[in-house]
Amino acid sequence: MPRVLNINPAEVRKSGVEKFTDIPINQYNKSIKDEQGSFSNADFLRIFRDMAFIREFETMLNLIKTTNQYADVEYNYPGPAHLSVGQEASAVGQACLLDKNDFIFGSHRSHGEILAKGLSAIEKLPDDELMQVMKEFFGGSILKVVEEVAQGESTKDLAIKFLLYGALAEIFGRTTGFHKGLGGSMHAFFTPFGIYPNNAIVGGSAPIATGSALYKKANQKSGIVIANIGDGSLGCGPVWESFNFAAMDQFRELWEEGFKGGLPIIFNVFNNQYGMGGQTAGETMAYGVLARIGAGITPNQMHAERVDGYNPLAVIDAIRRKKAIIENNEGPVLLDTLTYRITGHSPSDASSYRTKEEIQAWEDQDPIAAYQKQLIGAGIGTEQDFATIWDSIKATMLKVYKLAIDEKVSPRMDLNANPNGISELMLSNQTVDRMEDRPCTTLIPKEENSRVKQIQKKARTAEVDGKPVPKARMYQLRDGLFEAIIDKFYQDPTLIAYGEDNRDWDGAFAVYKGLTESLPYHRFFNSPISEAAIAGSAVGYAMSGGRVIAELMYCDFLGRAGDEVFNQMAKWQSMSAGVLTMPLVLRVSVGSKYGAQHSQDWTSLAAHIPGLKVVFPATPYDAKGLMNSALAGTDPVIFFESQRIYDIGEMFQPDGVPEGYYKVPIGEPDVKKSGKDVTILTIGATLYRALDAAKILADKYGLSAEVIDARSIVPFNYEKVIESVQKTGRILLASDACERGSHLKDIAQNISELAFDYLDAPPVVIGARNWITPSHELESFFFPQPEWFIDAIHEKILPLDGHVVTTNYTKNELIRTQKLGV
Amino acid sequence: MATPVIMPRQGQSVESCIITEWHKQKGDQVEVGDILFSYETDKASFEEEAKEAGVLLEVFFAEEEDVPVLTAVAVIGQAGEDVADLRPNSSSDTPAEDVKMDSTPDSGTSQTQQDAPLVEDSVTQLTTGDQKISPRARNLAKRRNVDTRLATATGPEGRVIQRDIEKLIATGHQATPAAKEGYLQAGQELTGTGLGGRVTTLDLQQSPVTTPSGDNQLIDNAYQDVKLSNMRKVIAKAMHQSISTTAQLTLHNSFDATAILAYRKQLKASQEAMGLANITLNDIILYAVSRTLLNHPDLNAHFLGDSMRLFRHAHLGIAVDTERGLMVPTVFNADLKSLNQISSEVKELATSCQKGAVDPDSLQGATFTITNLGTLGIESFTPVLNPPQTGILGVNTIEYKAREVDGEILHYPAMGLSLTFDHRALDGAPAARFLAELGRNLESFSVLLSR
Repeated sequence: MPRVLNINPAEVRKSGVEKFTDIPINQYNKSIKDEQGSFSNADFLRIFRDMAFIREFETMLNLIKTTNQYADVEYNYPGPAHLSVGQEASAVGQACLLDKNDFIFGSHRSHGEILAKGLSAIEKLPDDELMQVMKEFFGGSILKVVEEVAQGESTKDLAIKFLLYGALAEIFGRTTGFHKGLGGSMHAFFTPFGIYPNNAIVGGSAPIATGSALYKKANQKSGIVIANIGDGSLGCGPVWESFNFAAMDQFRELWEEGFKGGLPIIFNVFNNQYGMGGQTAGETMAYGVLARIGAGITPNQMHAERVDGYNPLAVIDAIRRKKAIIENNEGPVLLDTLTYRITGHSPSDASSYRTKEEIQAWEDQDPIAAYQKQLIGAGIGTEQDFATIWDSIKATMLKVYKLAIDEKVSPRMDLNANPNGISELMLSNQTVDRMEDRPCTTLIPKEENSRVKQIQKKARTAEVDGKPVPKARMYQLRDGLFEAIIDKFYQDPTLIAYGEDNRDWDGAFAVYKGLTESLPYHRFFNSPISEAAIAGSAVGYAMSGGRVIAELMYCDFLGRAGDEVFNQMAKWQSMSAGVLTMPLVLRVSVGSKYGAQHSQDWTSLAAHIPGLKVVFPATPYDAKGLMNSALAGTDPVIFFESQRIYDIGEMFQPDGVPEGYYKVPIGEPDVKKSGKDVTILTIGATLYRALDAAKILADKYGLSAEVIDARSIVPFNYEKVIESVQKTGRILLASDACERGSHLKDIAQNISELAFDYLDAPPVVIGARNWITPSHELESFFFPQPEWFIDAIHEKILPLDGHVVTTNYTKNELIRTQKLGV
Repeated sequence: MATPVIMPRQGQSVESCIITEWHKQKGDQVEVGDILFSYETDKASFEEEAKEAGVLLEVFFAEEEDVPVLTAVAVIGQAGEDVADLRPNSSSDTPAEDVKMDSTPDSGTSQTQQDAPLVEDSVTQLTTGDQKISPRARNLAKRRNVDTRLATATGPEGRVIQRDIEKLIATGHQATPAAKEGYLQAGQELTGTGLGGRVTTLDLQQSPVTTPSGDNQLIDNAYQDVKLSNMRKVIAKAMHQSISTTAQLTLHNSFDATAILAYRKQLKASQEAMGLANITLNDIILYAVSRTLLNHPDLNAHFLGDSMRLFRHAHLGIAVDTERGLMVPTVFNADLKSLNQISSEVKELATSCQKGAVDPDSLQGATFTITNLGTLGIESFTPVLNPPQTGILGVNTIEYKAREVDGEILHYPAMGLSLTFDHRALDGAPAARFLAELGRNLESFSVLLSR
């Protein structure tokens, strides 16, 4: 796409071979003695201690799950526990050199990583800073609990109890957990120590961590990002998309000085050799040695190698080397950290897929026991020293355990006292004009932008003096979007935008026309055709503290980003109990004319998932105002746009679209035409067909229709609609979504409840047929047409004198089509 | 098998009954004979017993709801049974002709809805069967006192919709013809007290009563607002209608009761076996009226505006004071019945009225009414006519009067009679003649008896 990169046929058609370099496998072979220059005896012992903490923590959970007790104290925990006994050396080795500015993201099996990273951060943070973190987190409420059992202890010992307790209380669903018990075992994290969300979706952290690395690069933040994923996740598309996204050529070729180089991320695969019970090497995967796949992604083979995850020193060594590569702007890195989990996938795992002999062979090489033996051999500790460490850990664990199951000090969220406890955390509903206060990096002043200058010459209404304005001179809906977006680019330095063909092409529908000349690559770039990575990385960017506009070129591609939109974008604000915000606007363009896979309105899918705001403006005024609102908030917004009306002018605001900044509140429908006989509520571009229908109703049947544009889908204020229905007694709802499961059915049902006594007929929904979208020439048989509105009103609401129907809206037809599933 | 509990039809003219109290609640176990609910018609109260044992699965109507007769009001069956098919699908203010619910959806236009001609007089043809009506239309009708049964349904599938009620309103169908003009100009909601809730001219004259609210409200319990019983409302309406629609006036006289007192004494002394000891003075008067009335056909009649309906027999309405209020059961063909027959029939009717178990059909059809306040010491009063009857006789207490006989002042027991009649139906002299003849017949009661 970029003109500066020339594709020379002579070059690319040339004959030759592509060479690979050798992939190191378990090359580390140093002894304790060799490493004594790098680590003090205290360091060696602390590595042991941290592994022992993880082992005891996981053993405790295993005992609770399988025997309902730990150290003779009973507790029933029905939730998940994906334990990592056997993987302790991998976790501790990784965390050893990281500090709080290095972010780790994890999986469902990440208790060990949380503890390792937390213990490492506690060791490195000065006491006063540590105290400050604990005091400020949720107003010191977690600290208050652990202080009770840590009197007279050092700040670091107190912090260790804080870490263990915060994690365990989170696992047990207590309000004193790291995020009030709303995340639980598979989603625990603690950002002040650089521990970012773990993820219950296999591979879910890969795109999110990629976005976090993008945040670090685009905003020049220090630290690296590690995506901890399992070998099972190598079967997941979004993981591969993330590898590529993080390594795109443009980072080296096109991004500006100071921003050059691949993303600062290590994709670290804790390769425990099983994806649940599926044996990856040998059964479900094809890579042989996992580290091989790096060679398929980048010429530098992602610096991939296999390290021995059963030896903490080998892992530390690898991280030290890989960190240096990243700091040299040569990321991303793929690390194959080979390990083995002695415990099952979960406590209910009968290990039917592996032999006792296999487990025993790995237990014989237990990483903690082996390391202890090495230390004793090197004279760093005695059996007695290690027994003392174990005793101390067990005593600490028991104290923390007792606190975490104590209903008094560790209560669950009281949803009787506050029934809105969770609903208050679903959305952040705040206004933050800029996510950071510093100058915005732009290439030219806004006034000099050619699009800005061009828009200034346009008529800001669809008609002037009663005459339609020619399209070329008319302020269009796409101009409304552009104005809001470019405004924010000059206001919020963290704002970035990307998607397929955003730069140079100007976005497939010219919304971004002119934006390229204002913005450097690191704020505005083209993504690969990787919807999962686009949406997932935007989630990671937003949760790391930046504002982002990601784009899906067609609504139909939403399926490709299903997990990232529905499980990640929607859920992290509430699962984090408000610790994280999600200032992410996902622009989704609804097509037409392009057949079954490019013309679908999937607003209903988005509306169904709690945790998202969903809007669909249909006028230039609303597009600009709603985009301004979306970009001023910190909530995830799915911003639907229709390709039918990017060029529509403003027909409803007599003074036109204001040049200045204004917001249209998200959640407020708008009466576009008032009337008294029947209400028509539409979503999206269907508005204009509703207005045509209203004209027919007036001209042919003397009926005055009130037309309301929903504008927003979630949230939605029913009051205006109910007011209208109370007046008219009748309502027809229409959108281009397929009629079955259309969100309008939901709205219709609510109207039935809210205005039942005022209704003269049941609310009637019309939508697209429950078919594939046919070719453009047949679309009038598929999408609602003005005549359909009249037919539906005539058949189900108010018989119209002399009306001859062209479509079948009878009850029999409804039963027939539903019976057939069409 | 779930069985519906049907609202009984208490008499041919009863269209709906009001449920006054549920004695069993949804989910209760009921046995045969358990009282399920109490209900009342315009004129009487009843109790409905369970005819099946089982669980009261569903209750379709709440207390105070007006339920069309022969409509399923509840379902008895076994726990878990589906009652959906038994749920009445007609609106509660329309009579169901048949309890069988039509659950198949209608296709096309109305089949269940008869076209109701919009006629201007009070004789309107009402639609029958289940009526489909939108919530909005029903509310509008309720607010504006429109009888939804008059509506011609023009909605989809024969549904009465808003415009159908609006059409009725526009053609004055929620007010009496006389009040129509005034009503349409009134520009405000009026509560109709006329037939079928129609707004009458009187309603037009009455300005709406406003109740104090907010700060002006009395702080202590200076008064208590007691809701009128259905019965009281009926009485109020009937009395007011009587006064406002007839031209009534009252004549008073008295007669010498010596003869009937003596006769009554004889009866009291008679042998128990004869069963005559309980015949009262009032029974004697009834007997006399039944025999006298046929000589005065204008008083044994119904005044129908432009015609008079003269009856061949005397059907006497008897005013009975009950806990719920005034009830007027009828002794039909009293002129053909013996004194003893009249007496025992009156007692039966009075007892069943007190119990609230009177046959509603006996609460109408009277041609002349007798009301007795004499037992309460009233010396004279002005009874209120029971239209379309043309006369009502009030019976007063006995006072001693004096008269001169052969120069001697003699005292005698005089019983007062107060006759209210409708001057539209007859004039004062004929009414006075009836009263005089009645007095004479009572003064020589034994002669009357032997006729």
